Amino acid sequence: MANMISMEGITKTYHLGELDVPVLKEVDLSIEDGEYVAIMGASGSGKSTLMNIIGCLDRSTSGLYILDGRNLTTLDDDGLADIRNQYIGFVFQQFNLLPRLTALENVMLPMIYADVPRSQRLKSATDALEKIGLGDRLKNRPSQLSGGQQQRVAIARALVNHPALVLADEPTGALDSQTSREIMNLLTELNQQGTTIALVTHDATVAAQTKRIIHMQDGVIVEAVN
Amino acid sequence: MKQLANPQPITRSRRPRKRQTSLSEVLIMSAETLWSNKLRTSLTMLGVVIGISSVITITSVGQGVQKSTELQIQALGTNVMMVSAGAARTGGISQGAGSASTLTWEDAQAIAKQVPAAKAVSAFLQRGSIQVVRGNTNISTILLGTDLNYPIMKNIHPQEGLFFNQGDLDAGRPVAFLGSKVRDELFNPDEPTIGTDLRIRGKRYTVVGVAESKGTAGGQDLDDIIYIPLTNMSAQIVGNNALTGVAINGFWLEASDADQLNSAQFQVTNILRLRHGIHPSAVDDFRIINLVDIITTFSSVMGSLTLMVGAIAGISLIVGGIGIANIMLVSVMERTREIGIRKAVGATSRDILSQFLTESIVISTVGGIIGVGLGIGFAFTAATIFKFPFIVPLWSIGAGLSLSFVVGILAGGIPARNAAKLDPITALHSE
Repeated sequence: MANMISMEGITKTYHLGELDVPVLKEVDLSIEDGEYVAIMGASGSGKSTLMNIIGCLDRSTSGLYILDGRNLTTLDDDGLADIRNQYIGFVFQQFNLLPRLTALENVMLPMIYADVPRSQRLKSATDALEKIGLGDRLKNRPSQLSGGQQQRVAIARALVNHPALVLADEPTGALDSQTSREIMNLLTELNQQGTTIALVTHDATVAAQTKRIIHMQDGVIVEAVN
Repeated sequence: MKQLANPQPITRSRRPRKRQTSLSEVLIMSAETLWSNKLRTSLTMLGVVIGISSVITITSVGQGVQKSTELQIQALGTNVMMVSAGAARTGGISQGAGSASTLTWEDAQAIAKQVPAAKAVSAFLQRGSIQVVRGNTNISTILLGTDLNYPIMKNIHPQEGLFFNQGDLDAGRPVAFLGSKVRDELFNPDEPTIGTDLRIRGKRYTVVGVAESKGTAGGQDLDDIIYIPLTNMSAQIVGNNALTGVAINGFWLEASDADQLNSAQFQVTNILRLRHGIHPSAVDDFRIINLVDIITTFSSVMGSLTLMVGAIAGISLIVGGIGIANIMLVSVMERTREIGIRKAVGATSRDILSQFLTESIVISTVGGIIGVGLGIGFAFTAATIFKFPFIVPLWSIGAGLSLSFVVGILAGGIPARNAAKLDPITALHSE
């Protein structure tokens, strides 16, 4: 299978005044198309930073990053925004829906920035919400939805531009165990349909549902379990 | 867990997208945001509304008043001046204006003959608050004694009957030519007026005609007046108080054309000094009032006043702009997480910049449009109440709208740049 993500020698160093703080040290990482990967690690292990770099929210200090055959190392801010829009779908712990928008409008948001015509936006967003079982909640605002429902809306939003990769940052961190299971089942099902998923978690039961677990410690990958 | 409706793999589209989200999308987003926060939006807008409506109102009122004075100049004629009696003097000591009349009808007649630049001269003697009685109706009006040149110079045309004639003037007959308001107060609309008798100051006068309405000028009702022969006015109403001849309040002089007005003024001054025995260094006992000068001065003062008050109104626009900038800054801070989310799903810095800038421009431009509407309304109301022409210069509308647009750009610029510069990770993790 083709590599979705190839990272070679990725480093990230923060400069705090005179002090250089290395957060990622020469990380090499490959994720294949259609994989289902969990990144685990203690707080401060660098897993969030790695996640941000994979998600093009942040840049590595050095190293090579190829996503779906595109070298992202040299892209400018607009280029990264483009990649986030077209290649990556985010699912966050805090859902991160816009509170003033309805579920439907929230799902339509990435398509606005992809310049999809309004009629097609409506159709795709409605389809996406129906697929995850929220077809009767299109006009509800986030405050009128349960946590699980909000996370489903967020997943629909992540999927609506047909991304190469879905990045989930502690997707069940704000949910009770029953709802967590439902969300994990949904992600598993999406992966079975071919979506490449990488999730960051510190919850071993969540990680156990994925096909591969990458452990991080002090800015390096210490163990990759297949 | 219900089975997903579509089990086959999703195919991805990898089309390159335009770097700039279309203007209509940004406008819709901004309008939705502003609409969802109606109270804040309208309060923010208020500053611009007040600023623009004041600018429009003030320029409109200023132009209207200027136009009204120009119309007065045209009504007077641009080649007319008034000579009025000044302070009488006894042994070089001024007795104060109005103590006795220093001008006579003979002065006026001499000027008419001896001033080459004069086309016509019309003397007048006027008293206010004169009691006029017809039957049971009793009114108070202005009584003006004058000669036959007066209706010509002042464009007074009869709607009934005629102005009094030379014979009436020579003989000092008790005949009256009524202003239209006086007629309306003394007579029913369908009642005949010509030949009817009135009592003015208890003396009997016969109506010979009624003037067409002249409207108002400078707050004075030009129809609230009765014209009688100067000779009769002098003999019967005022009493002759001049040392020589028939005393008058003054006379109007019409120069042969506007260019001749200055030479006419010079000649009149010389002739009157000669006739009154006034040598240089002594003070004239008459005053020459060049109304065109006065009105031109008034008009230019009015113009600069309009400009000044308009500029002050412009300051309120700056205050309005600062209000917008303030609210936009707060809004950017409040919506940091929103900005983070938008960037995470693919908004570029330019998208964020244009969204916030558009919000600011929409606030100020909509405020500007409302302000223009309100300003026109205020100006119309003022013009109706104070009876001057209603003029809204197109340039003031254009200036108002473009000014509000510029205010929006200036006020939104810094907040929008702050929003665009936000780091997506920091923004996403803000509370």
